[in-house]
Amino acid sequence: MKRRSFLQSVPVAVGGITVTAYGSSPLLEALSTSLSDTDRVLIIVQLNGGNDGLNTLIPLDQYASLTLSNIRQNILIPEDKVLKLGGTNDATGLHPSMTRMYDLYNNGKLSIIQGVGYPKFNYSHFRATDIWMSGSDSDKYVFSGWAGRYLGYEYPNYPVGFPNSVMPDPIAIRIGGNVLGLENQGVPMAVSITNTNDPLNLTGSLFQDAPGNNYMGKEIAFIREVQRQTDKFGDSVKAAADLGKNVSSLYPKASSDPGYLLGTQMAIVAKLISGGIKTRIFWVNTGGFDTHSAQVNSADHTAGTHANLLKGVSDVIGAFMDDAKLQGFEERIMGMTFSEFGRRIISNASGGTDHGAAQPMFIFGSKVVGGVLGKNPTIDPASTVNSNLPMQYDFRSVYASILGDWFCVEDAALDQILLKNFQKLPIVAPGSCIPTSVHEQNKELGENLVYAYPNPFVQSTKIKFETYGGHTMIQIINNEGSVIKTLVDKELQAGKYDVACDLEDAAAGIYYVRIQNKTLQQVKTLMKVNG
Amino acid sequence: MGSIKPYSGSFGKPELIHLLRRTLFGVSKSDLNYFKGRSLNQVVDQLIPATPNLPAPPVRAYYNNADPTKDNIEKVGTVDQVKWGETWVNTPYQTNFAANPYGYRGNNLKYWMTGMQLSQDRSVYEKMVLFFQTLLVTENSVVENPHSMYLTHTLYRKYAMGNYKQLIKDITLDPGMLRYLNGQLNTKSAPDENYGRELQELFTVGKGPGSGYTEDDVKAAAKVLTGWNVISSEKVNNVTMNIIPKRGFNKNNHDTNTKTFSAFYANTQIKNDTSITTFPSPFGSIEEYRAWLEIDQLIEMIFNTDEPSRYICRRLWNYFVYYDITPEIESEVIEPLAELFRLHKNDPDQLQIVLKALFSSDYFFKSEHRGCMIKSPTDFNVGMFRQFEFPLPNDSKLEAQYAMWNQVRSYVFNAGQDINDPPNVAGWPAYYQSPSFHEIWLDTSTYPQRKSAYESVAKNNYAFSFADATKVYDGVNSPSYKFAVKMNFVDFVKRFENPSDPNSLIDEAVELLLGGTVSQGVKDQLKTTYLLLGQSTDYYWTDAYEVYLANPNTTDPESKRVPSMLQDLFTYLMSAAEYHLC
Repeated sequence: MKRRSFLQSVPVAVGGITVTAYGSSPLLEALSTSLSDTDRVLIIVQLNGGNDGLNTLIPLDQYASLTLSNIRQNILIPEDKVLKLGGTNDATGLHPSMTRMYDLYNNGKLSIIQGVGYPKFNYSHFRATDIWMSGSDSDKYVFSGWAGRYLGYEYPNYPVGFPNSVMPDPIAIRIGGNVLGLENQGVPMAVSITNTNDPLNLTGSLFQDAPGNNYMGKEIAFIREVQRQTDKFGDSVKAAADLGKNVSSLYPKASSDPGYLLGTQMAIVAKLISGGIKTRIFWVNTGGFDTHSAQVNSADHTAGTHANLLKGVSDVIGAFMDDAKLQGFEERIMGMTFSEFGRRIISNASGGTDHGAAQPMFIFGSKVVGGVLGKNPTIDPASTVNSNLPMQYDFRSVYASILGDWFCVEDAALDQILLKNFQKLPIVAPGSCIPTSVHEQNKELGENLVYAYPNPFVQSTKIKFETYGGHTMIQIINNEGSVIKTLVDKELQAGKYDVACDLEDAAAGIYYVRIQNKTLQQVKTLMKVNG
Repeated sequence: MGSIKPYSGSFGKPELIHLLRRTLFGVSKSDLNYFKGRSLNQVVDQLIPATPNLPAPPVRAYYNNADPTKDNIEKVGTVDQVKWGETWVNTPYQTNFAANPYGYRGNNLKYWMTGMQLSQDRSVYEKMVLFFQTLLVTENSVVENPHSMYLTHTLYRKYAMGNYKQLIKDITLDPGMLRYLNGQLNTKSAPDENYGRELQELFTVGKGPGSGYTEDDVKAAAKVLTGWNVISSEKVNNVTMNIIPKRGFNKNNHDTNTKTFSAFYANTQIKNDTSITTFPSPFGSIEEYRAWLEIDQLIEMIFNTDEPSRYICRRLWNYFVYYDITPEIESEVIEPLAELFRLHKNDPDQLQIVLKALFSSDYFFKSEHRGCMIKSPTDFNVGMFRQFEFPLPNDSKLEAQYAMWNQVRSYVFNAGQDINDPPNVAGWPAYYQSPSFHEIWLDTSTYPQRKSAYESVAKNNYAFSFADATKVYDGVNSPSYKFAVKMNFVDFVKRFENPSDPNSLIDEAVELLLGGTVSQGVKDQLKTTYLLLGQSTDYYWTDAYEVYLANPNTTDPESKRVPSMLQDLFTYLMSAAEYHLC
């Protein structure tokens, strides 16, 4: 049921007043938006460790090289077991354990992008993860996340004045500890909840040992309840969880099943969405992809560690999509997988693969452009241990496509969020956008504690801010997340203030102004342009 | 009835941690190492010593203008009456001072209180001082005299492990208490029952099942207590000078009639004994001495009942162990402990004996009494700084030292405990308010304050820019100038047994911060999330840590983030419900 379209076609009774839908009444727009279930949702599935893309998305036309003993003979999937993908002339296939994602592909609900990476690769798990999360160039350190910056664009006043009647829910939910990807200039844009669903513990805590049946247990239960109540989104998340459900029978059931933990996370996501939560972004993860040794069973290369990892991801995404379809929210969701890097072309002597570069990405949802984007890599029979799959698409082009075509961010703002211009790829079905009025409204939500006027500006601007009294700090932060100026750092009476901000010596580009008033923080974007 | 059952089980690390968490503000790795290998008796002997000497008093570390040439807070003309770094406790304010310093001194005393807690030695002393502050309350904001507050504190300290009855006798005529509970207004013609009531209800007898004092007893006690007042000024050479407040006595205001008490007090009669004709120092008159002897009888009469012993032992159990006093605790702990309290009621080491018995008892060590106490704001915040062995400035950086003490005090204040200003005469509700008791400390407003404090401790650079270098009170080359300090988690984990092993590091961190009841599954998740950053092989941490230790300026991308990984880990550990328990 699409509540939004329902509202636009019939009179709505609000507080005894009947409002009939005629075009663009601002009141109706606000009402219908606040009740909307047409909001777009993105689910980010992070595969920690660096997934071996060459055994995930397999170039069947390269077997002459791949089967060589000096390439990856000891881990290669037998050609006849590979799940051949339609539309590729049988040249490309999926790992045989990925049957559910294969089904999605065959139903046009999976977009596969070959060779995603970035120039000048980094092979450290941690640095590479930061690059993927921040969306920075590999030689730049950016201390905010691409999704966090998007959320800062969509909801510029967050977290001040949130939750509110229009957005009662977290704007993003991270299942597990917080990640850089969801931070915006030091402000966490996501609410963390935990990774089990029984009971749905909402304090964002890994600390879930059941309270004992003793005094300590009594106090732990008490404190956790305080923590839950303190979490200002706790009640709305719980309300959605209580209202929502999982109806798919496909989620892994036993803790020994591949993908079990990821399944519990994705089941929470499905349950919350079906319960009407309006959260934009969910971020989940699953680990173990760092397969330096024994990634396949030596007797049967289609089985073993990596096969189970891929089966887990595929089964869970399949189950989630099944849930979404059965509950009717399939058209509202889009998901993507990413890992910090792919792995090397040549396998090692321990039957594993070492840290590599480009990787395939999977985008799932009923509104994707199904198919495989990009070409099979050419595997040189003379590859060395240092050889890597070449990059075909920049990962930020994938981000740009999702932000632009799914969340409908206009091009100029896209450049700000992604720090420069990246071309979009045909990943999202045309016409999937939500009305811009939704964004216009989101922009106004919450309380506006700080902004610059004029903005954009040439040399200097004026920062206008409001403090609730007490210690107040106003900082100017550059694109890398470094504080370049502290304009205010003192005790102030509650009230509204102006402070001059001179950036004459700074290069043109994007800056941020951040206010901190005790525990309150808010960040706004500034744009310095050449005069 | 017999003596309290002593603990006879093994005294290992979990028992040591339990004992230290309850007697100290926070347990550090150094504390654990210090007591390692000692027996329960040895540890208890150290933790509960005879009452120590008074610490050095608070000193001036404040000004009313950041520019010393403009500052006049302790000045007459241009002359400092209390110099920077010297104590004010012997120098009452006089009207010729450029400004009244009592507000500054009152705050200074608060910072100092927190400072004493932060720099506590390995004994229960500071926790007992705070116990008395919630039991025998006065309030800075009511007394409005820092000298009185300091004198009352001196009594708390003097009797911390001493004789409770004598403490009550002293505090009854303490100037701060005379002012706080209207003793100074209690006269023969207009009796004020305030102190007579609280003396019985809150300080000694209590309202337990065995309590039986009557309203008439309150009135009779009030009559015994008539005639006393507070002297705050004296004429010196015909000039009225403020003095450190002291008790005074006006014989015309004292009711010399015989006071008769109820059957609860064995129908005791307290008479003004006119047969006594000589008076010792420091009494100023025979009437004053006789009135004092009435008070002495009153307090002896109260302590001749069994109730004060039970009441105080319940308060001790509540303060140090848990708030739920079951019939079993009443009969197996409170009664025998109260008997011990009574047995030693005239001994100068009474509380030392009682506390030793409590902290060596079988019931104290029962598993159900471990990790179940919600930390007070003081225990949470002071304990956090002590636990992390946070590098606080010493008194060579006086300005910074008091500023940091005030910083910690403000965390305690924000979390609902205003040191030297309990909410009312009953003290903090957490110690008496049924049925929630200690749970009162935590709610949706105080919890974020605790969270904000631990996040600050983990992440803040505490920087003080005290004016400019030529205007710093500690001196021109003051070490306080631009003093800055930040938690260093690498130094912190260096004290651990084997910090390069992520499993061992997590085990020790969890044991120290959370008391070690966290499951292996959660520990594994903590390790994977914070030390392996989602990877699954232990050597990612080991390599990174060892490279970092060898070269803290390493540019290796994994290794150089070791400090922030530890910072994130410890910040996260403090988000556990268990971190609020001790």
